[in-house]
Amino acid sequence: MPSALDWINSPLSVVQGFFAQTPNPEWEKKVVEYFKEKLKVNDAANWVPSLNDVPLHYLKPDSLVKFRCMVQDMFDPEFYMGVYETVDPVSKERMLRFGKYRDIAECGPQQEVDLNSNKSVTLERQTFYCVPIPGESPWVKETYACESQARVSPSTSYTPCRHKRSYEEDEDMDMQPSKQKDQLSGPPGVAESQTSGDSKRLETEAPSSQSNSLPGCSSPLDLNFPLPGEKGPACLVKMYEDWESVKVNDMLEVYGILSVDPVLSVLNEERDGSSSFLDTMDCTESAEEQKVRSPPASLVPRLHVLLVHKLEHNNPLLPQLADQSCESAVGFVSSFLSEVTSVRAELLGYFTHVLLGDSLAAEYLILHLISTVYARRDVLPLGKFTLNLSGCPRNTAYTENLYRVIQNIVPSSYLLGMSLHNMNSLRLVPQKDYTANRLVSSVLQLARNTSLFLDETVLEQGQLDTAGVRNITALGNLISWQKVDYDFNYHRMEFPCNINVLITSEGRSLLPADCLVHLQPQLNPPNMQEYLSALQVSLLPSLLNKFRVYLSLLRTMEYSISEEVTKAVEDDFVEMRKNDPQSISGEDLHRLLVVARLLSLSVGQTTLSRERWTRAKHLESLRKNRTEQQKCVNGNEP
Amino acid sequence: MPPKDYQAEKEKCRKFLQEFYTEDDAGKKVFKYGVQLVSVAHREQVSLVIDLDDVGEEDPELVESVCENTRRYAGLFADAVHELLPEYREREHVAKDSLDVYIEHRLLMEQRGRDPSDTRDSRNQYPPELMRRFEVYFKPPSTMKPRGVRDVKADSIGKLVTVRGIVTRTTEVKPMMVVATYTCDQCGAETYQPIQSSSFMPIIMCPSQDCVTNKSGGRLYLQTRGSKFIKFQELRIQEHSDQVPVGNIPRSMTVFVRGENTRLAQPGNHVAISGIFLPQLKSGFRQAVQGLLSETYLEAHRIIMMNKTEDDELGTEELSEEELRQITEEDFYEKLAASIAPEIYGHEDVKKALLLLLVGGVEQAPRGMKIRGTINICLMGDPGVAKSQLLSYIDRLAPRSQYTTGRGSSGVGLTAAVMRDPLTGELTLEGGALVLADQGVCCIDEFDKMMDADRTAIHEVMEQQTISIAKAGIMTSLNARCSILAAANPAYGRYNPRKTVEQNIQLPAALLSRFDLLWLIQDRPDREGDLRLAQHITYVHQHCRQPPSHFTPIEMKLMRRYIALCKKKQPVVPEALADYITAAYVEMRKEARTNKDMTFTSARTLLSILRLSTALARLRLVDTVEKEDVNEAMRLMEMSKDSLQAEKNQSTRAQRPADVIFAALREMVPEKGVRSVRFADALQRCVSKGFTPVQFESALEEYEELNVWQVNQARTRITFV
Repeated sequence: MPSALDWINSPLSVVQGFFAQTPNPEWEKKVVEYFKEKLKVNDAANWVPSLNDVPLHYLKPDSLVKFRCMVQDMFDPEFYMGVYETVDPVSKERMLRFGKYRDIAECGPQQEVDLNSNKSVTLERQTFYCVPIPGESPWVKETYACESQARVSPSTSYTPCRHKRSYEEDEDMDMQPSKQKDQLSGPPGVAESQTSGDSKRLETEAPSSQSNSLPGCSSPLDLNFPLPGEKGPACLVKMYEDWESVKVNDMLEVYGILSVDPVLSVLNEERDGSSSFLDTMDCTESAEEQKVRSPPASLVPRLHVLLVHKLEHNNPLLPQLADQSCESAVGFVSSFLSEVTSVRAELLGYFTHVLLGDSLAAEYLILHLISTVYARRDVLPLGKFTLNLSGCPRNTAYTENLYRVIQNIVPSSYLLGMSLHNMNSLRLVPQKDYTANRLVSSVLQLARNTSLFLDETVLEQGQLDTAGVRNITALGNLISWQKVDYDFNYHRMEFPCNINVLITSEGRSLLPADCLVHLQPQLNPPNMQEYLSALQVSLLPSLLNKFRVYLSLLRTMEYSISEEVTKAVEDDFVEMRKNDPQSISGEDLHRLLVVARLLSLSVGQTTLSRERWTRAKHLESLRKNRTEQQKCVNGNEP
Repeated sequence: MPPKDYQAEKEKCRKFLQEFYTEDDAGKKVFKYGVQLVSVAHREQVSLVIDLDDVGEEDPELVESVCENTRRYAGLFADAVHELLPEYREREHVAKDSLDVYIEHRLLMEQRGRDPSDTRDSRNQYPPELMRRFEVYFKPPSTMKPRGVRDVKADSIGKLVTVRGIVTRTTEVKPMMVVATYTCDQCGAETYQPIQSSSFMPIIMCPSQDCVTNKSGGRLYLQTRGSKFIKFQELRIQEHSDQVPVGNIPRSMTVFVRGENTRLAQPGNHVAISGIFLPQLKSGFRQAVQGLLSETYLEAHRIIMMNKTEDDELGTEELSEEELRQITEEDFYEKLAASIAPEIYGHEDVKKALLLLLVGGVEQAPRGMKIRGTINICLMGDPGVAKSQLLSYIDRLAPRSQYTTGRGSSGVGLTAAVMRDPLTGELTLEGGALVLADQGVCCIDEFDKMMDADRTAIHEVMEQQTISIAKAGIMTSLNARCSILAAANPAYGRYNPRKTVEQNIQLPAALLSRFDLLWLIQDRPDREGDLRLAQHITYVHQHCRQPPSHFTPIEMKLMRRYIALCKKKQPVVPEALADYITAAYVEMRKEARTNKDMTFTSARTLLSILRLSTALARLRLVDTVEKEDVNEAMRLMEMSKDSLQAEKNQSTRAQRPADVIFAALREMVPEKGVRSVRFADALQRCVSKGFTPVQFESALEEYEELNVWQVNQARTRITFV
């Protein structure tokens, strides 16, 4: 076994092999090829331990690991010695070594790096500061963890304290003792998908508490996660090629060599202690900056990238569709599309129950959840569909439960209570900190297709201060233009984003939503909490998984409008304008086309048919009538 | 490649410094560097900037070598200067500080000379750095373009580069030791240690002849006064936002600044820094540990401050022939107008007006009276007709602009505020939006929602172009020469054409009359327009991009540069046109009286026409206003008025020219006496109204046939029947 998995356990020796064999600079390509091939072999990727669910101290230094993450910040490129020479001062023996994929120069015991050797090559690499995907739903983490078949053996620094901690869980564990082991020591091939709700909760707790036990999580070092209360390792990902294509907020799956050499931290402490022989002039970075740029490796490991994939979506149930070569993915899609109508009906039913019997709102909720920005024309993002559910019951914890329902279906989400306190005290927009030279993350730095759930029902009367106004403006910009202006102190920079915003409010929201649906509850269950949790429990896990796939898959599908239908739509619009010019404006047509698009996609159709167009118009008119009615009732609505 | 003979290179440098000259207007030779060397020799000048363009004239090869291996050549030039200086000294100068005295003494000591056979330890010789009081810097050749931080890669290490960026951090200026001087406690000899890196190991044992031979074990002590220090500052620059690819974080770079270049930049400044891109040498433990990594920095030679607008103006000179041709095509006026906010559909006339606002009219100052040249425009309209988008587009396009909303800005926010400085406790004046937009455009959204008190501030700005402040003992007048672009919503949700403009917007006439053009943008159903709008929107949704139009919008950058070019022109109204304009104005006044118009025509209207015409002339890059310009200006005026009288236009069918001519003639008929008008008068009246003589003739014929009037045989009188 160990020999077969050499490429996982000691990838550097593999690299060394190539380096020794092949002359410059061919060896670099060969290394990448080799690992690509290795990972292609059926589920080989599952054998690689993941930083996301295995605690850091279980991983062997210099082994191959994978990491599912979002790019939070980019540092300046580093110049390093790609090839260097070591000299033995005694024997004068010279030896060529490679500097790629490592932080620390490797030398024999008595050897020295020859800095003036003319054989050394200076190369460039790019460092990204990556954090786990913000707002990742528990079910996603858990499904990934289950797929993993990595053999993880505790490293020598392993201390038994971990056992102590897990005792409390062992009581729950008794019925399924194997499962826990599964996660920690991972006998291969046992991971079947989890079904029962109980074990699920258990599993989700396990990884999070593990990361809690990481020695440094309680330390003052701020790992700079976008969302408060996030856990997991942050990582300095060092890329050697094609880093131009990586952007901030991209989701990546990285395969790389883990580097946790303690020397990296020692260096740091020396600096902190401002020891006498390290003059401050010696370094161009301030202490804060140093702390951020090279944090202790035990907290923020370095990852030297061998392979990287950009993730189109973060749904473990759905294969990545970007690589069309994979036939299984194509097969999966076509088989799922055959039952898409029935899944949609089920989902509609489920949402109708969740939304207290309002089927129109349920319909719109589906449309909202499969919406995505598919193109941008100049500044205008196309395909966004922000939904404002007004008329939500205020007194109960309804909105929170609604969020749980959505969280359980979408891969990543975040609930932001728009209370006055939150609005005035939070900083929603990421900001550049020039002393530490990093981008301080905040709530609105989210990966694509994250569901942002804004709860406006908790907003009370009072005054917004400057920060509050700025936050509301930022949210407004996010909704209207799907962009966030990051604050770079001297100027602002636009970062396009793709976030699905859902607003729940009592009346019409103060934010400019694309579409306002007033909730008309048909039922009024006495205990809302019980009602909703009962609904969730009664949902079959297999069906739940289908919902998850449904929402993620339809989002990625292509869509087109034929010339013929276009013509009909145009005529329709002119006709409507003629009858009543106030009834429809250019903006309404935009929305109508988006609704029609989403409606067609929601039943698996990739072109617009007349039928769907009529249905879209019908839905919109139903919705408008309802809004009109509401206006009459409230009178004071604008 | 044989190693370079740096001695020969140094000779070249020396020769250049001695022999380079330019010829001034009188044809006399001016030795540019010779003059500077003299003042350096007299300690009147510290930094000597060598313009590589000058070097290029003499020896292009040398420039190349300098750019490739800058640090070495900086040393060579410094050596050459050092050798030349005594030749250029014309008189004795008084020592300025202790170091000068030291240098003098040391020179004397050397001249006095010890035993020539006494070979001194190299460390006891004076290092050249110690004796120099000047700094040599290079000015990169003008062919070298400033680069972004991102574009400076490993291959530029050791080379001269120019980087553009924004300063984000500066350290304090600190003295940095260049030469350490020690004295021995035994023999008293001085020992010198030049320091190149950021840290150094002090020498402890005295290396002088005496101590070594006597084995007296003399200890060395660092002497601060005898050492040489140089000012040192560290900067951090970051890329400009426009150099950053979408979705990337701006990169930064460390810059070391020495000597005379320190204290030039503050955080927030836009700078272009030329310097040498160098790796940083580490020593000791750090080097061992981080052996694989090397940090880099830029050693600054020249720091130029720039601001964004200046940067744009730099581009103006480079407006190439081809770009000019691209702009000044046949329909350039339409094309330029359509390039404003291309994503907003239609509104051609509004866009034309906005284009003129950007260009601006010519400011006139006859006999001390100032007549503003800036054009003010107010856009009104129903909610959701893209007013704000137009505003924000102009805000982005204009090189200098401020965007505020009427509600969001108090009077102080628009004009100026007196603030107490938190540090010094002094009262300072801080400019508001209108002041900050001086020489630019101030976009004010939600103009109607402004408080009454704030509006008074605008009155002054819109005509006098100044803001007078009398607050907290500060009495002053600030310039606010800005065009105002306002957007307002009608008072009752929708515009009511039956009411006057004042009533609709609830703004006083005094303020409204200060706008050159008032546009009402209405959302009117109209089959043709609707269809085109629908096509536009569906196309976007179908193909995810802008529909192909018959023209490609001109780039924002190019527009900006073209507008800057236009602004340089100062067209005048020729004498010949004056009559024409006067006549037109009189006509407009008369029409306004008879028409029961919702708008008003005043002397300000005449000025507006002049402003618009001069702006149009500027746009054509000519020096005189032509008749067409005036006509177009009047047409825009007319269109803006028409937009305000929306309903009327719709209800009455378009009148044929003949009918209008008939009406005009009927007006001319005197009320008493013979019901006839002179033919020549009638013709002139109609032509001034914009009809052609042919139309006039045909109208005459038409109505003659109907027996409404008769024209006499000689065609001199028209008599009504």
